[in-house]
Amino acid sequence: MIVNMDALQGLALGFGVAFSGPNLLACFLGVLVGTIVGVLPGIGPIGAMALLIPSTFALGPTTALIMLAGIYYGSMYGGSTTTILVNVPGEAASVVTAIDGYQMARKGRAGAALAVSAVGSFVAGTLGIVALMFFAPLLAELALEFGPPEYFALTLMGLILLSRLGGGSAVKSFLMVGLGLLLGTVGMEPISGLPRFTLGQLELGQGVELVPVAMGLYGIGEVLMIAERITGISQMIKVKFRELFPTVAEWKRAFPPMLRGGGVGFFIGLIPGPAAILSTFASYALEKKISKHPEEFGKGAIEGVAGPESANNSATAGAMVPLLALGVPFAPATAMLLGALIIHGVQPGPLLMTQQPEIFWGVVASMYIGNVVLLILNLPLVGVFASILRLPQHLLMGLILLLCLVGTYSVNNSFLDLYILIGMGGVGYFLRKLKFDMAPLILALVLGPMLEKTLRQSLFMMRGDVWAICVRPIAGTLLLIALLSIVLPPVIHLIKRK
Amino acid sequence: MIRALPIVSFCFLVLGGVYLAGSLELPMGSAARPGAGLFPFLVGIALVALSSPLFIRSLRLKEPQEERTEPFPSGGDRHRVMAVGATLCFFVVFLKPLGYMICSFVLMGATLRLLGLRSWAKIVLTSIFTAAISYYLFFSILGVPLPPGIFSF
Repeated sequence: MIVNMDALQGLALGFGVAFSGPNLLACFLGVLVGTIVGVLPGIGPIGAMALLIPSTFALGPTTALIMLAGIYYGSMYGGSTTTILVNVPGEAASVVTAIDGYQMARKGRAGAALAVSAVGSFVAGTLGIVALMFFAPLLAELALEFGPPEYFALTLMGLILLSRLGGGSAVKSFLMVGLGLLLGTVGMEPISGLPRFTLGQLELGQGVELVPVAMGLYGIGEVLMIAERITGISQMIKVKFRELFPTVAEWKRAFPPMLRGGGVGFFIGLIPGPAAILSTFASYALEKKISKHPEEFGKGAIEGVAGPESANNSATAGAMVPLLALGVPFAPATAMLLGALIIHGVQPGPLLMTQQPEIFWGVVASMYIGNVVLLILNLPLVGVFASILRLPQHLLMGLILLLCLVGTYSVNNSFLDLYILIGMGGVGYFLRKLKFDMAPLILALVLGPMLEKTLRQSLFMMRGDVWAICVRPIAGTLLLIALLSIVLPPVIHLIKRK
Repeated sequence: MIRALPIVSFCFLVLGGVYLAGSLELPMGSAARPGAGLFPFLVGIALVALSSPLFIRSLRLKEPQEERTEPFPSGGDRHRVMAVGATLCFFVVFLKPLGYMICSFVLMGATLRLLGLRSWAKIVLTSIFTAAISYYLFFSILGVPLPPGIFSF
């Protein structure tokens, strides 16, 4: 039995780890930065994590993961602030909140919308962590049965599903996967030590680092997009502290959507895809469908804020399950977390919980603490965070550029990494204009080495018999899902056209 | 006006082709003992197979049909993007010879100016302040060995 301590014992260990001084500070900093990047449109959690990975090198892996995970779920809280007050979604996962949140603000209920959003995030986030605590060990136990063929199939399925779910052109998404896999093969080949595609550069032998690629695509690329048009921010609705209390009727209407949103979000988080974003749409659709007042949706229905804002938070907890239990990220942001763990010399997988329980349980416990901190930060200080938007754009962009450059340089003190950063910034800008999704590239870069290793191990194990991989029950099922996700959409499209 | 999608898809095609050719120079091994070239070979084939139809289709498409792409900026907006890119290149190329302080001062100053700050006094003061504070933070506190450049005495 893998779970040699039960969840409560594990959690007790986790709180012991999370309450240590450096980890508490890391948790606080993580959720604070998360809230800030959530508030700021344009800078997402992936970019923020990329910016901060270099600063975690001096920290232990647990502390680093606590901080980076804090940015991930913290950004979901902050995203709603600007959405409700200014109608500018700070995060893609808050776009749905804009529909009813801003309408509530226009009706003078901005405070109630913000409060419901923060409390919903807290309730669903906490429920999500409880579910994570029980689901992850179960999944890890199941994953102990996995051999290289199952891991190969799982990784391949994750990559394909993620590329298909991101929206937009499938070909473009698969090309980004290809580019990520290509970059992942640069450097010393792990089995024979043979240099591949290093162009004679000794430094490239170590491979293409995740940090310059992610910072280039998300940091520099974004600044170049913003440089195109200098825009001001629209008028912000001011909220007083005493207005932050929803009425009893509003609470009654908001609480069930919070719970439903929590459930929807968590289960969507378990599936490969941009979980936080998808969960908000699913929750909104569900609330509208079952509401007694569907006509109010779009005109300031509180359920339209409570449901999606809860869903995106519990989706982040759900998305942590495959990462911590299988060592396979199913979302771009958790791919960054995996990248950070690998940089710190930790190999996540089903054995993480038994071999390094302090990491797993420490992170889980820190998420409980982080959610409380976020609630405290986001309710009374909502005005302070919203005022971050008043920071001049030119100053903010200059600081981001500087952070990208110094952050990248600090990884290996390498000038080559800086050139990769600039190159990826340019690539990110051009491809973004042509509606290529950046997330598949990051995922493929992180998962590429794992995909190659498990493919080669599987072929070796099966003596080169590819069919033998396909007929293994779990691997076969996963490969079938991957295949169907490629074949079915065009077939359905064709049938619909007829 | 130059159309971007055919160019980008062609770049993908060339990249995939060159990469595929490179993978053929690596040991391929056998099916039971795959070598270092197998995975790049498969990735190369996928890249070529995906970019070829995209390239052909992008040539056939008329400009407004180009798969909901965003138009590239023109005039002053384009110059601004190019100038920010050039400033970044300046930072990377001159970081070693000139040092962090000068490069970060130039980067900050140029970004502030390009993105809308008009007062030269504010630009110079903010840039000096940012360069000094960030140098102190990264070099002295976080121990990042930033190149001193001309200040290496």
